[in-house]
Amino acid sequence: MFASDGTVRRHYAELSERVSELSSDELRRRQQACEQSFLHQGITFTVYGDNSSTERIIPTDLLPRIITAAEWARLEAGLKQRIQALNLFLHDIYADGRVLRDGLVPRALIYGSKHYRREMRGIPVPHGAYVNVCGTDLVRREDGTFVVLEDNLRVPSGVSYMLANRDVVRRAFPALFRTAGVRPIEHYPQDLLATLRSLAPFQDDVSIAVLTPGVFNSAYFEHAFLARQMGVELVEGRDIVVNDNCVYARTTSGLKRLDVIYRRIDDDFIDPLAFRADSTLGVPGVFNAYRAGNVVIANAPGTGIADDKAVYAYVPRLIRYYLSEEPILASVETFLCREPKSLSHVLANLDSLVVKAVGESGGYGMLVGPHASTAEREAFAEKIKADPDNYIAQPTIQLSTAPCFIEGAIEPRHVDLRPFILHGEQTTIAPGALTRVALKRGSLVVNSSQGGGSKDTWVLSA
Amino acid sequence: MLSRVADNLYWMSRYLERAEHTSRLLAVKLETLLEQTPREAELSWRRVAAGLSGDEHVPSAAADAFEITRALAFDPENSSSLIASLQSARDNARQVREQISTEMWNQLNRLYLRLAPMDLATVWNDQPGHIFRDAVDELLMLEGITYSTMRHGEGWYFLELGRYIERAQLLSRLLDLHFGRASRSGTAPSYLDWVVLLRFCTAFEAYCKVYTANIRRDRIAEFLLFDPEFPHSVRFAVERLTDALTRVASGAPAQRRAACERLAGRLKASVDFGQIEELMGGTIDLFLTNIMSQCEQIHEAVQAAYISYDAETVL
Repeated sequence: MFASDGTVRRHYAELSERVSELSSDELRRRQQACEQSFLHQGITFTVYGDNSSTERIIPTDLLPRIITAAEWARLEAGLKQRIQALNLFLHDIYADGRVLRDGLVPRALIYGSKHYRREMRGIPVPHGAYVNVCGTDLVRREDGTFVVLEDNLRVPSGVSYMLANRDVVRRAFPALFRTAGVRPIEHYPQDLLATLRSLAPFQDDVSIAVLTPGVFNSAYFEHAFLARQMGVELVEGRDIVVNDNCVYARTTSGLKRLDVIYRRIDDDFIDPLAFRADSTLGVPGVFNAYRAGNVVIANAPGTGIADDKAVYAYVPRLIRYYLSEEPILASVETFLCREPKSLSHVLANLDSLVVKAVGESGGYGMLVGPHASTAEREAFAEKIKADPDNYIAQPTIQLSTAPCFIEGAIEPRHVDLRPFILHGEQTTIAPGALTRVALKRGSLVVNSSQGGGSKDTWVLSA
Repeated sequence: MLSRVADNLYWMSRYLERAEHTSRLLAVKLETLLEQTPREAELSWRRVAAGLSGDEHVPSAAADAFEITRALAFDPENSSSLIASLQSARDNARQVREQISTEMWNQLNRLYLRLAPMDLATVWNDQPGHIFRDAVDELLMLEGITYSTMRHGEGWYFLELGRYIERAQLLSRLLDLHFGRASRSGTAPSYLDWVVLLRFCTAFEAYCKVYTANIRRDRIAEFLLFDPEFPHSVRFAVERLTDALTRVASGAPAQRRAACERLAGRLKASVDFGQIEELMGGTIDLFLTNIMSQCEQIHEAVQAAYISYDAETVL
């Protein structure tokens, strides 16, 4: 919000003025209205206790984060370039393996990853689009540019919060919203529907469903929300029957064929016959139907190999390799512990690095060096030495901050940015994002599973 | 429509009907508390408890109005309490969140969130009937919201089916307690009990319009069983559930549809052609038991035909 000299940045001026006109009580009242609205809509996640379970909302901060048109144009171009390269990469490793033959990416990195799906070898994918829905995490550096932190290519969530935040914050600042020239994002569900539809082998009467693990999943609200907004069926594994390599939903009038499944279940659980046999959430036989070309699964199984934290280090090289272009968005410098030189560097500099386990997400299995105790660092060093292939390290990134309304006062909190990219026949990005907020003072962890919140993100049209 | 979705809608509606019935009985009971002698009040509480939980014996430890009300309304362990019904309705609604309108969900969710943390003790000394009267109003509002915000397609008819099967069963049970064997073994219901029964069924004014304020046992039975136009009569409920059955699962094989429609037709015939004079001669308990078991059969037939059928049989 503020420039380094302490003045309010131009695109924040109106917000700053509007907020300073309002009393703390008035802001608090609007904040509570937002929270009530979330609670009543059931936009909650459940915290299970000993005997009871309580429903909590993911806190939404009242003050929108603002992104200028120029910043967005660059982000959009960079994200499009990135998803194009990542899809070409996925196609390559599941088809010819050219990138491996050329030695750009070590074979062991791919074949040794738990996210590599041998079963996907040679399966044709519509438009070569493996990743159809992507949520890329970015942060802003001190120089104001955005840098990619992580590509979420499996089953990214959070888009319903992007839309829900907009809904409540627009109501909290109606006048400001009208004059600011905020680009709309409400068409996201239609874009998603169009993307899914473009994956079907025919265009008339395509039968699409959202596959959810069920009501106990923490993102269930989002699954139901998207199905409702798209006007398609929300199905669970137990609603689906596979017969003769065709996929059907069980309806009151009999079985109904499904053509495209937008699955919100991890690869591992999607088909107990193909992947984890103990999965009760998935659909037995659905992968064979997919292989036979009778149903489209989006995202395709096996996309996790491309958002692996070690593969991340290669993405700039992949962009040059496949597109012959320079990466528009920077990545964070990454040390692969599998390389001996990097390993010794990492072990010698644990106090300044963030170390992450390659296959984990959601903020688990990581060490934030500067915030860890000596004992924690030593214990983690042992883990790294025991299995160096499983770890990467990055310099501690100073997340940018945004003003947040915290307990009656306006304070800075660290934020990141997750825009959502759709990729089918075409690539579309709704001009908005989920801005995740680390609500604890000084904290850098924005994950909602670890006490993060979110804010509405305004992309300005000019 | 997905079988699971139909099932969730059906149960959501049954639980909402039960919640409304429970709220209304408690509201009426608490509102008329002051007009009864302690002995009358106790008998009347027993009927309410039996009508709501199927248990005719109110535990002696719970013999005061507060404890009974708490158990019937706010005991989460009691699966037929108001709060348990609302919770089940909400759980079912959450599973079909994308099928019902946002207005419906908000209304149901708001009501649940308001009642769930309520402490009966804090409102007990100040017109406790109010909270249940409010609950009835909120549930009626939900019914209206449903009527005007949801497509009247197959899903809506599954809601209708659930609502009216539940209503026919709840009404039959309540009538059985007032006209059946149970009512003859103890003290016969008094004048006030008959007025209370009508009010339990939100029927006092409607009854008076048809029969004037001349409160007679046989006429009350006739009205609540056979009136074709009153929404809380057994006949009305049966009429609506029969109609709903003809409108769901239009693409299902004729054979499976026929199984449900035949049972519904039989039930409809028994209430369309029932004679109150015959029943008041001593067969009314048999008649009511029969209606309850026919509702149960229809429920099972619907499950078998549309919800839990074997997929192999239709491939």
